[in-house]
Formats: sequence, structure tokens, C-alpha cells
Amino acid sequence: MAGGSVATGAEGSSFLKWTATLGLLIVVAVPCLFIVVQAIFPEFGSGSFAAPFSLFFKTLADPDLFGLAGNTLILGVGTVVCAAILAVPIAALRALFRVPGALIWDALLLVPFMIPPYIAALGWIMTLQPRGYLEQVAGFNLAPLLFSVYGIMLIMGLNTFSVVYFVLSRTFETIGARYSDVGRVFGAGQWKSFWRITFPLAMPGLAASLLLVFAMSIEEYGTPAALGRRIGFEVLVTGIENRISEWPIDLPGAATLSLVLVSMALAAFTLQRWLLTRRDYRIVSGKPQASDKRRLGVWALPVVALFAFLSFLATGLPILAILATALTRTISGGLTPSNFGLDNFRELLGSGSDGLVALGNSLALGVTTALLAGLLGAITAYSVVKGRGRFRIVLDALSITPNSLPGVVVAVGIILAWNQPWLPVTPYNTPFILLLAYICILLPQPVRYATASLHQLGDNLEAAARVSGSGPLRAFVRIVLPLILPSMVTAMILVFAVASRELVASLLVAPIGFQTIAVYIWQQFDQGSAGLGMAMAFCALVITTLIPLVLVSLMRWISKGTVAGLN
Amino acid sequence: MTTNPISMSGKHALSVRSLSMSYGTERVLNEINVDLRAGQVLGLLGPSGCGKTTLLRLISGLLLPDEGEIEIAGEKVAAPAVGIALPPEKRGLGMVFQDYALWPHMSVARNVAFPLEMKRLGAVERKERVVKALDRVGLAAMAERRPSDLSGGQQQRVAIARAIVAEPPLVLFDEPLSNLDRELRETMVEEIADLVGELNLSAVYVTHDQSEALTLANHVAVMRAGRIEQLATPDDLVNQPKSPAVADFLRLGCLLPAVKDSDGWTVKGTNLRLPAAPFDGAEAEVLLPERALSPNGSGTEKLQAEVVRTQMHSAGQALSLRVSGTDHLIRILTSTPVRSGELLELSFLPEDLRWFPVAAQAT
Repeated sequence: MAGGSVATGAEGSSFLKWTATLGLLIVVAVPCLFIVVQAIFPEFGSGSFAAPFSLFFKTLADPDLFGLAGNTLILGVGTVVCAAILAVPIAALRALFRVPGALIWDALLLVPFMIPPYIAALGWIMTLQPRGYLEQVAGFNLAPLLFSVYGIMLIMGLNTFSVVYFVLSRTFETIGARYSDVGRVFGAGQWKSFWRITFPLAMPGLAASLLLVFAMSIEEYGTPAALGRRIGFEVLVTGIENRISEWPIDLPGAATLSLVLVSMALAAFTLQRWLLTRRDYRIVSGKPQASDKRRLGVWALPVVALFAFLSFLATGLPILAILATALTRTISGGLTPSNFGLDNFRELLGSGSDGLVALGNSLALGVTTALLAGLLGAITAYSVVKGRGRFRIVLDALSITPNSLPGVVVAVGIILAWNQPWLPVTPYNTPFILLLAYICILLPQPVRYATASLHQLGDNLEAAARVSGSGPLRAFVRIVLPLILPSMVTAMILVFAVASRELVASLLVAPIGFQTIAVYIWQQFDQGSAGLGMAMAFCALVITTLIPLVLVSLMRWISKGTVAGLN
Repeated sequence: MTTNPISMSGKHALSVRSLSMSYGTERVLNEINVDLRAGQVLGLLGPSGCGKTTLLRLISGLLLPDEGEIEIAGEKVAAPAVGIALPPEKRGLGMVFQDYALWPHMSVARNVAFPLEMKRLGAVERKERVVKALDRVGLAAMAERRPSDLSGGQQQRVAIARAIVAEPPLVLFDEPLSNLDRELRETMVEEIADLVGELNLSAVYVTHDQSEALTLANHVAVMRAGRIEQLATPDDLVNQPKSPAVADFLRLGCLLPAVKDSDGWTVKGTNLRLPAAPFDGAEAEVLLPERALSPNGSGTEKLQAEVVRTQMHSAGQALSLRVSGTDHLIRILTSTPVRSGELLELSFLPEDLRWFPVAAQAT
């Protein structure tokens, strides 16, 4: 009954409200603000507001920009096409037929979520380059394909199609059980009812997941940087990175390009949100019901082969390539038994090695980011859920803004904000700057988990605490926080996994000489020590994937059914 | 014993003065005035959307009023005119929620101990009072269980223990039994009634179930559209309903529209005669109370009615009857078997009728 605009006597704690506001201002608003200011006032760095917009329009009119923006769009659209071609058929097969080993394929197709795209791209380079593993095994290489615009699209499509696959197979299945069966009762055949009912109803879901793929691919740094640079194919992300990391450093240009990139990402996310919240054509959600699926019959073998092939391309091949590179002493030695050994791992993990330091740095940063982002996310979500009016809208908007902020843009904003010469103290050039960057990039995850979890809590649980004599802050600490903790832990594990191997922001804002896992891998690969880099990549995959996986399943098992929000 | 709730003698557990509340432009509570003496139970009864739950949340402090005053145990807790708005935790209340609102991450004992913890009571006393409160609701053995291990009825007993453990001056019940099935509801009403009596609790009990309200409350406020339609003892409510709406909501019997012509009163649109009304006027609604009607009884007034539907109940046969020559339905319980389509003669006494004058409409 309580409407949003009514004065409630049980407001959330104002301490938490101001903590959330302050946190979001520092972490999100400040970097965004500085990008905008810098783009408008090119002389801002030297403390002057002179010549506003002088460079802004110049950069916007720069043919370079058109090239970069055009390439970004081409790459985004191409990746979407690849992902759709890869995902739609197998999603339909998975939803409508009894595919042998379906659960195994599902599990394998989850793996691309866990491999950072830049690591997969490096794996593909090792495989397809001249004298790569493919040539050693099969006698030919696909370097011309890999180092082409289509190659980049294909690799990025392979990294992202499982997003579409999971959304779509679930949607197909739900619609199939709920609506398509009704069509069949009224006389439509299975195929007709798929094309006339299931597919049109699944369109919004398909479109939304493809938009997500689009946003992911225009924000991606590692793959275009590793593959595109060799053929001079630059996109906005790599263009921005160039303007910050190479002389002459062009901050206003980087800021303007960032604004262009953010507008694209924002457009994609706005469209996606609109699709997902539209009333008239709601995306069918919910648990797929058990429905009787058709047998594949003689098609069972080809279909299984297709699933196996795609799973191998998306999951098996990059990991095998990483492992092969890590386990061979020299790249030139190739895949011969005498060349295999643990030398790379020995060097990487030797006491006092750079690799060990980088691992330690990343793990410490990952854990700290997870804890801080989790706490800030929980407080923010709570303040938004309990909040009213304009305040709530501002807080909500700030907390989801980073969704459309690519890592490279966050890095630009942070450099612009915290590298100002007039600042008396600054976290710049300390590891804390990485913490700020990671929290900004990953904040939407814990906010989303916490919001979902808070909406599952009955209002009366907190009301009961207030009536029982507990103040708002204590009600949060004693009642709300423990109840959303399980899903917060899940969110924090996710944050840890992503933060501990984040690439582009780390490359740009890490203090000089400070290495993280991703920076280490990137530099080793650049310097030709691919073996060391891939050994680190393998360790990173194990640490940041297996540990969280084990933790999550352990938690699910412990809290089996007793806590809302986990399952 | 005085039954007048407005009496100022004695201490008031709750006193509400000209309380109003709006959601946007919609006025959900309008000029509410209620007093409740210590040791008594006030029932708030009404259909959903009548404002009873809003009133309860205003008393608890989970909502704040636009206008008016609320006093709990002599202390002003909400008075927007003078800027008083105590948050719920400062009002020292106990409350039982419709959805129990037990904290799933705490044991039963920890749930019940929470209000005492907030009062900073020592561990020894806390434990003693928790055991006592759980004992009262018959769940001492369940102290270490999780709320989710208990049945609905047990969970609501825990919630009641939590509400009374700190011996608050006022306990609020927000439709506490509406999530339970009927048999359990009936036993729980009696349990709550016993508990309230033994502990001499002051309570406000919100419900849409008239039998709960009539069983538990010393005074019942029947609410409709943000107003109190009638505030009276259960006895008065049943015998002297103040308006057709109250009679209708309490399902006291059949409401018939009546008009007066030169020969006396008839049921509107028929030539069914009615005894003389005790007032002057041309139009009225008249209540034919269900319990005043009996088939083949000794009443002086007679009425023909056709049996439309019969339904077996444990207490007898429930009949729906259509008053002959009209569309009006009456319901009665009878112990003698009858069949659909039969004609019955019902009798009643003229003084059992309740008349509600209808103001002549300006044409």
C-alpha cells in the first residue's frame, strides 16, 4: 500500500544514504565529470577554462574520428552477426530437441564467460599464426583470416556467442512450453509453430542479447589491440589508449573520443533496457517447464558434432593453445615431446619472481575491490530501494552509469581527475588508483545482485525490527545485511574474478613498475616471452575461475534452499 | 463497567485525534478519532482499501500522518502540527504482521529476544523472558529451531511471542491470521483472546474478518473509505448497526428498500407490506436481521420466500431464499431439511427490524 512518494516513518538510515552518495560521487561521478570538462576545455589541465569547445569540434570533425567510430561500428555489428550465426541454430536445437549430452554442452559453453577475451585472443594467435599449432598439426595456417577484420569479428563472436545461446535457448524453451504448444493444439505443425509463434515471441530477447554483445564488443580492448594493430585496424578503444599512452599525449582528444564511445554504449544499453522493460511485448522469462522435446533421430550425430565443434572452438582450443604455449620450453621448438616441460611455470612461480609479485598484487587488489564494491553496492542498492523522489533517481542513475563506461574510458576519467597538478594529495601513482578504477567498472554487479535480493525481502522484515526498537542503521546491519549476504558474496566473487585480471584500465593507470596479472601477460607477450605470459594466463584462469566456482557451489550447497537469492 | 470508549477516565493506551492521511491526491484516512483504554482491544474492521492497515501503520510509525495527533500511553508520538514524528523504534510497541516477518537468519529464540536486546536488557533476564514468552505461546521446545522449520501457525505464535516479550503498552496486530487456514484461524483467535486477557494487553487488531473482530475486541471500529463508519462494542454493532453499510459488511441480514405510501410501508417496487417504521419519512432501508427470522416461527409478521439454494454446513443447512415477489435474497440457517424450490413462511417480530432513513432526494 505504501506508495513511493509518501512520507514513511521508517526511512532508511541517512548515514547509509550519505555514504552511498559520497561513494558514488567519488567513484563514478568525478571521473565522468572530468572527461566532460576536459573535452570542453582543452586547457583545463593547466588550470584554465580558456577556448571552450575549440578542440571538441575539431576532434569531432577529425577524419580520424570518423575512421575510428566507423571501425568500431563495423566491428560491433560484425561481432553481433557472427554471434547470432553461431548461437541461434544451436539455441533452437537445444530448446526444441533432445540433444544428447545437453548439460555437458551447456557447461562447456559457460567457459567462455570465464576466459578473459584477451587471453582467448592470444590463444588464437598462437594457434593460427604462421608456424602456429594448426600448421604444426594440420600443415596449414589461417593467419590471413585471423589478422583481418573478419578474423577479429569471428574471434569476438566466438567469445560472446554463449551470451546469446543461453538467453535464447531458455527463451525458446519457455515460449515453447507456454505458447507454442497452444499453437500446436490449434493445428500448427512443430516447424510452423516455431516460426509463427516461438521465434517472433523470442525476438525481443534475441535483440536484447545481441545488443549486449554489441556493447561488449565495442568496449573490448584486448582482442582488437592484439589482432587489429598488426593490420592497422584501430577502433575507438584502441584510439583512446593510443592518445593517452603514446607521445604526443592528447588528453582532450582522448576525452572527446571517450564521449563518442560512451554515447554508442549508452545507446546500446538504453535500447536494450527499453526492450527488456517494454510492456506490450514482454520478454518471456521464468523457468522453462519440462516439456517433451522431440527426438533427433538420424540427426543426433551431426547435431552432437556441431555442439562439440562449437564448444571446442569457444572453449577447448584457446585453453589448449594457452596450455601448449605454457608447457613448451620454446615456441620455435614446436609440439615435440622433447620441448615439453614445466620451465615456464618454474620461472613464473620462482620465489621473488615478477610473476609472483604480479599475482600477489592482483589477488590483493581483487579481494579488496570485491569487499569495497560489495559493501558500496549493498549500501547503494539499499538506499535506492528505500529512497524517494529525485534523490533516488540520481543515486540509481549513478550506480548503473558504469554499465556503459568501457574500462578505457574509466581509466581516462581517473587519469584526468586524479592527475591534476593542483591536487594536494592524490591516489594517483599508488595502487589505490587501480582500486578506484576497478570499483567503478564493477560496481553495477553488486548493485544488481543486492537490488534483486532486496526486492525479495518482505518489507515487513525491516519494519518488524524498527517496531521492535531498532534504529535504521542497526536494522540494516542486523536484519537486511545478513539476509542479502549470500547473494552479495556471489556478486563479490564475480567482482573478484573480473577485477583480478582486468586489462586495459590496469595498463593505463597502474603506477610505474606496478604489475598485475593482466599487465604481466600483456607485456610478456609483447616482449616475445609468450611461454611465460601463457603460464601466467593459465594460473590466472585457474585462480580466478576455479576458486570462485568452488566457493559458489560450496555456498549453494551449504545454504541449500534456506536463503533467498542464491538459486 | 463502562463501555464508552470516549470516556476520559483512566489511562489511555492509545488516543488518535483528527488523523488524516493522503497518498498523492487520494485521501485514504479522513479525520479519524479513536481512544482505547489500557487493557482493552480495539478492532479495526473493514474491506480491503478502507484504510485500516494505513491507520495501523500510522500508529506504528511506519507511516507518518499529514494531519492530526497520535498518543501512545500518554506520550505524543505523531503530531505534524507541532513537528513531532517519533520513528517506530521510539514508540515501544509490539507488532504482529500478516506475513509473520520472522527473521529467517535467526533462531526462534533470537527472534523473540530481539526487542529485549534493543532495550539493552542483560543476558540472564533476556533469556528468562524469552522462555516465558515462548512458553505462553506453547513453543518453548522450539526455541533453537529456525523459523522456516515451523508451520504457519507456529510461526505466527513466535511472532506473537516477539510482540509481547517486551511487555509493550500497546500491541498491534495486522491481519495476523489471514494467512492461516480456517480451522487454525478459529483456534488461534481463541488463543489470542486468552493471551490478551491473561496479560491484560492493550491492543489494536486489524482484520477483515468480522468474527475475529467480534470475538477479540472490546470495541470495533468498522471502517469504510477512509472513515470510521461506526465505533461500538460488538454487541451494539450487531444489534444497533448505524448504517446499511455496516449491516451489509457484517452480513447481519437482508437489506430491503422501503417506501411509505398512504397505507404504510412497503418494500419498494412490490406490494409487500412492512410494519410501521419508528420515524417520520418517506423512504428508508430496512434490515431484516438473519437471526430474527425463523421458518414457521411464532413471530407476528410473516413473509413468503422461495428456497433458491441449499448448502450443507456442519451447524445445519444454509439456505438462500428469495423473498416472494422480489429479487431480494435472505440467508438463514435451519435444522429442518428443505429442498430447492420449496416455499417457506418466515416470521419475525416488528421490533427486530432496523430502519435506516433515506434522506429525500432533491429532484
